[in-house]
Amino acid sequence: MNSFEYAMPKRTADVFRALESSDSIIKAGGIDVLDLIKEGIAHPQRLVNINSIDELKYIEGNQTTGVKIGPGTTLAELASSEVLSGSYRALAQAAGSTATPQIRNSATLGGSLCQRPRCWYFRNKDYHCTRKGGFTCFAVNGENENHAIFENDFGCVMVHPSTTAVALIALGAKLTIASAKSSREILVEDFFVTPRENMHRENILEQGEIITAIHLPPAAKNMVSYYYKQKAKQSFDWPIAEVAVSMQLDGKKCQNPRVALGAAAPVPMRSKEAESALNNQEVTIDIAASVGKEAMKKATPLSQNKYKVHIFQAVIKRTVCWASDIDPFA
Amino acid sequence: MEEKKNLSQKEISRRSFLKGAGIASVGAVIATTASVDIKADTKNDSDVIGKNGISCEFDVNGKKYAQKVPPRTTLAELLREDLNLTGTKVVCDRGACGACTVIVDGKSVCSCMTLAIDSAGKKIETIEGLANGDELHPLQEAFVNHDALQCGFCTPGMVMSCKNLLDHNAQPTLPEVRKAVSGNLCRCGTYPHVFKAVMDVSGKKGE
Amino acid sequence: MAKEVKLHIGVENDLEEIKVTIPDDSPKPWDGKDKLKFVGGKTPRLDGKEKVTGNAKYTFDMKLSGTLHAKFFRLPCPSAVVTKIDTSAAEKAPGVKGIVLVQETLPLTVRYADQELLAIAAETAHQVDEALKLVKVEYEKRPFVVDLAGAQKSDAPEVFQGKFERDKEVGQIEVDEDNAGQRRGNVRAPQDYTKGGTKEEIEQFIEKSEFSVSATYQTQVQTHSALETHGVVANWEGDHLTVWASTQGTFSVLGELAQVLKIPQTNVRVITDYMGGGFGAKFGAGPFGIAAAKLAKKTGRPVKLMFSRREEHVSGGNRPSSMQTLKIATNKSGKLEALSLVSRGSAGISTGAGTSAPAKGIYECPKIYTQDADVFTNAGPSKAFRAPGHPQGIFALEQSIDDLAYKIGMDPLEFRKINTMNHDVRQKEYQIGAEKFAWHKRNPKVNADKGPIKTGMGMANSVWYYFYGVGYQATIKVNGDGSVELLNGTQDIGTGSRTAMAVVAAEELGLKPHDIVVRIGDTKLGFGPPSGGSQTTAGITPAVRDAAYLAKNKMLEIAATHLNATAQELDIRDGVIFVTSDPTRKLSWKKVASKIPGGTFSVMGERKKDHIDIKGAPAVHFLGRNFYTIGGMQFAEVEVDTETGVIKVKRILAIHDCGRPINRLTLQSQLNGGIIQGVSYALFEQRVIDRNHGLQVNPNLEQYKIAGSMDIPEIETIVLDTNRGNSSTGAQGIGEPATAPVAAAIANAVYHAIGVRIRDLPMTPAKVLEALHS
Repeated sequence: MNSFEYAMPKRTADVFRALESSDSIIKAGGIDVLDLIKEGIAHPQRLVNINSIDELKYIEGNQTTGVKIGPGTTLAELASSEVLSGSYRALAQAAGSTATPQIRNSATLGGSLCQRPRCWYFRNKDYHCTRKGGFTCFAVNGENENHAIFENDFGCVMVHPSTTAVALIALGAKLTIASAKSSREILVEDFFVTPRENMHRENILEQGEIITAIHLPPAAKNMVSYYYKQKAKQSFDWPIAEVAVSMQLDGKKCQNPRVALGAAAPVPMRSKEAESALNNQEVTIDIAASVGKEAMKKATPLSQNKYKVHIFQAVIKRTVCWASDIDPFA
Repeated sequence: MEEKKNLSQKEISRRSFLKGAGIASVGAVIATTASVDIKADTKNDSDVIGKNGISCEFDVNGKKYAQKVPPRTTLAELLREDLNLTGTKVVCDRGACGACTVIVDGKSVCSCMTLAIDSAGKKIETIEGLANGDELHPLQEAFVNHDALQCGFCTPGMVMSCKNLLDHNAQPTLPEVRKAVSGNLCRCGTYPHVFKAVMDVSGKKGE
Repeated sequence: MAKEVKLHIGVENDLEEIKVTIPDDSPKPWDGKDKLKFVGGKTPRLDGKEKVTGNAKYTFDMKLSGTLHAKFFRLPCPSAVVTKIDTSAAEKAPGVKGIVLVQETLPLTVRYADQELLAIAAETAHQVDEALKLVKVEYEKRPFVVDLAGAQKSDAPEVFQGKFERDKEVGQIEVDEDNAGQRRGNVRAPQDYTKGGTKEEIEQFIEKSEFSVSATYQTQVQTHSALETHGVVANWEGDHLTVWASTQGTFSVLGELAQVLKIPQTNVRVITDYMGGGFGAKFGAGPFGIAAAKLAKKTGRPVKLMFSRREEHVSGGNRPSSMQTLKIATNKSGKLEALSLVSRGSAGISTGAGTSAPAKGIYECPKIYTQDADVFTNAGPSKAFRAPGHPQGIFALEQSIDDLAYKIGMDPLEFRKINTMNHDVRQKEYQIGAEKFAWHKRNPKVNADKGPIKTGMGMANSVWYYFYGVGYQATIKVNGDGSVELLNGTQDIGTGSRTAMAVVAAEELGLKPHDIVVRIGDTKLGFGPPSGGSQTTAGITPAVRDAAYLAKNKMLEIAATHLNATAQELDIRDGVIFVTSDPTRKLSWKKVASKIPGGTFSVMGERKKDHIDIKGAPAVHFLGRNFYTIGGMQFAEVEVDTETGVIKVKRILAIHDCGRPINRLTLQSQLNGGIIQGVSYALFEQRVIDRNHGLQVNPNLEQYKIAGSMDIPEIETIVLDTNRGNSSTGAQGIGEPATAPVAAAIANAVYHAIGVRIRDLPMTPAKVLEALHS
């Protein structure tokens, strides 16, 4: 790793001052940032460690009031949180399925949302890809088995690596983003930036801004949720397809569904097609299967990843079933 | 849609062709202008630790060590290079294999992806701290008796992950054991004996 | 002098009595009637405590005072000619103490991405990193080819434009340099084998046959990915070089260093106390060992050079890829009639991609034609990898055999049985396996389950060979306090050879294994075997037993004078030497040791040629000799999710023969390991090289996928009790046979589950779905 200075603010207010120095990067759990530095992708002159800020670590509230989560909360804490065991369980499931037990003990929710691409070209210093200011997305005509099947027609075909974002989008979560001067709220689904909008960033955070809170809205009546990740390996592996679903279930009747897909596009995305196929339906295996098919209708797979379309169909079907307490294999 | 896609891709690759770089950064091999701007330690800003680091106190296996560490020093480097505790291994150096697992304040972490400076003042447990003198920890004893090791290179990390599990869950089920070591890679394929060893220890604990 | 002994040999309880002549200084080989105390039991490792406490010191952990850190400069370009290397700025960088070029003269041809050009040694690792950035290289890029199919095309860029330059790695199959002359493009001269006809006759026969199958199989490149990377610490004292190496061949490293550095072998010492896995990739000193030794010489300081994980993937070795076209014919009653295999494989810039051994060594088939040829690609050199050629070859062969069985409507197990009648062990294994696995409960129909998740059962034969080397010297030293040291220069790569040696010595000496202090992993301690070819135990334990036999006799002689008996009237058990006819007349081991004239003695046992050849199974002929074939087989049960393409291996039953098992505890570990590595190869592992730029895109341990704790099946293993009387211990090997048939057994179970064959490794969800939807 290159040498860097280290700021260890104790309060959120101190973060902004520490960030004023150019070439500074925020570090939370450090898993992503240290990887980038070790790979020679990032060369920060200063790390601003927000993991030392205790006021960013909390889970507050309940299903009635909504839940507020500090960005410094670790994935392990989310996975075992009582508060997240009911209607919000998709988030606990997503957090608990990420990476390895050791990494879940270090990685934070805020850090999980702000990861840089895990594309194997991006993480290799010898490839100067579009995201690093180059002119070629090497995956488009290269090794793209793990890459996007949506939103892959403009300059970068990576899939966004945030698993927690998929669950948060399904749960309709919002973020508070703060800078030294102001703060704003934004839906998680609007936080991410597609390559079409801007190739050089993955989210809307400006230099000097940080996420200060994550909000889950109060759970609607009879709201259920579920998250599932399909991997090739059952031990540590990146997902082939991940799906989070939330909906209100009146008996088996589904209302206001939200379906989010991860490992599908350069951003964690909502599938409006899936949602409209599911809305106002009595959930059955067949309906769930048709939701999967609808969701994939507009997929545009690359040369090596057509298989992901099949897998998404199955995983969407199953996740909808599991959310509705139906055995998809019955 | 399809046509548009082709166009945009073509446009991008044409630009890359004009730049004359298949992989542009191969140029980086030829020469690097990376003039590292070594600033004086910015001590004027009280919150910021300079690149050369500061002296910290580390509590490793109950023993206190005073050590100056630059911010970039990982916990694994501190243990292995500075404190000469080489039981902790570094294998992938990216958090993917768990060979460097240690326990910090009661939680297992990858010491290769943890900065030493962040561990200062915390309770750090490494493989060297498990045995009581010549007397092995029951988990270590079970590892030996069940042959839960082959080349032994993953063993320290594997033992620490299992210890972390048992610290929080004295009688785990087999699926819980499997999950607890799912971040520990063993290339010799010794997992079945690791499972046996942990189940054996937890059984004893239940007696 | 020689003596004749009676032995009871055979498999399990089927024993026959034979007479064997053995040298006077060797004990009667253990046979099927010997009741042994430790041999064949379960002894925890002698070094287990060192490993679980973190006290075991690996090369990676070595710290000599004043050690410099060294790393290679590598060019991330798959094919280039380097015309200039300028290290002037790097030499002046802080902390830099020395730089050596891998090749002194320019131009230098780079044949794979990340090939090493030079090494820099500096005071700290960070300083090396900074200095590496200052190296300036001028080079001309050349066209390249990284895929096996592409490299065979007539217009493919040639990897070797001149003569093939052999990679310096001891332990590889010797290459005929003239072969380069017969090379066509990147395809080396094919190696043909025929039996029962010419190539044309055999192929025509199969063509005309009523019952035949023909298919093409592909296998991927697998990297060894040992957890401890390749590397050394080199230190000179005068003109004597000591190297701590992470190796599975202390003596092959010594030999290569002496040869390349042009110094006498007497001046080189190699030490490997502990090492973190090899799997075939770690026999040589390699460019890293040589560079470290040169840097150490140049700087007058110890130099440590260990590969990074990326270097380990790219440059540390791999299992070659393959593309095999296999045609087999049988008659109506299920007897194999003819087999033809044409195999191409790429070992990158190296050789050794042949896969035909299983096709020649498992089945009784009157007509066989095989052809192997290496294909060069611009990729890192392969190294021997656990059963070289066999997982690939068996994947193709055993799926074809299965195919043919289904074609003629015969049970695949029965089909195999009637075509391997001449292998006594195999015949027993079929029977045990079928029973244990409940093969009869298997639905004879394929794709029989309803619902998206389908289960299947399959099996595959394994084959390996009984290898051993001779001349290994085990020394036993008995001290006046009764302590016993056992010395040999071999290494323990995790298989438990240290403990196996103690078990054998303890058995013979009437002591406990943990009473024996075993010193290994140092070339100063006497010639020992490399850990390769599954031959360490077979190679070293007879020498150990012979040494122990001599030590025992010496102790009996000493005791005899104090017990008023002859040595022949005495025996040792549980640390006590006693008169056989009157056990009350006894002395403790310690007491006798205290009476050793001069206070201590040492004796040496040498590994000699086996007393007799092993019979009961056919031998195969290669490398100019005959080798007894070791039979084994594995049964697999899988679940295939037809909607996601994900295969889960539910259980594996492995039945193997390794001669006499020495330590069943560590043996079990090796079996588990071979099976798990096989599952990982079957389902996950694959080196991915970017076809457009020639760089590996997954040189790490997250995108190069290795089976973890959640991916492994339930494993049951059965090891036959086989007594052959061939050597004093009768041990053979297990490391390689355990991994050879796994992928094939899984593939056959997958076919049974879904009715579609996956002929391409690894069997990823993408391939399963493609097969199901095509």
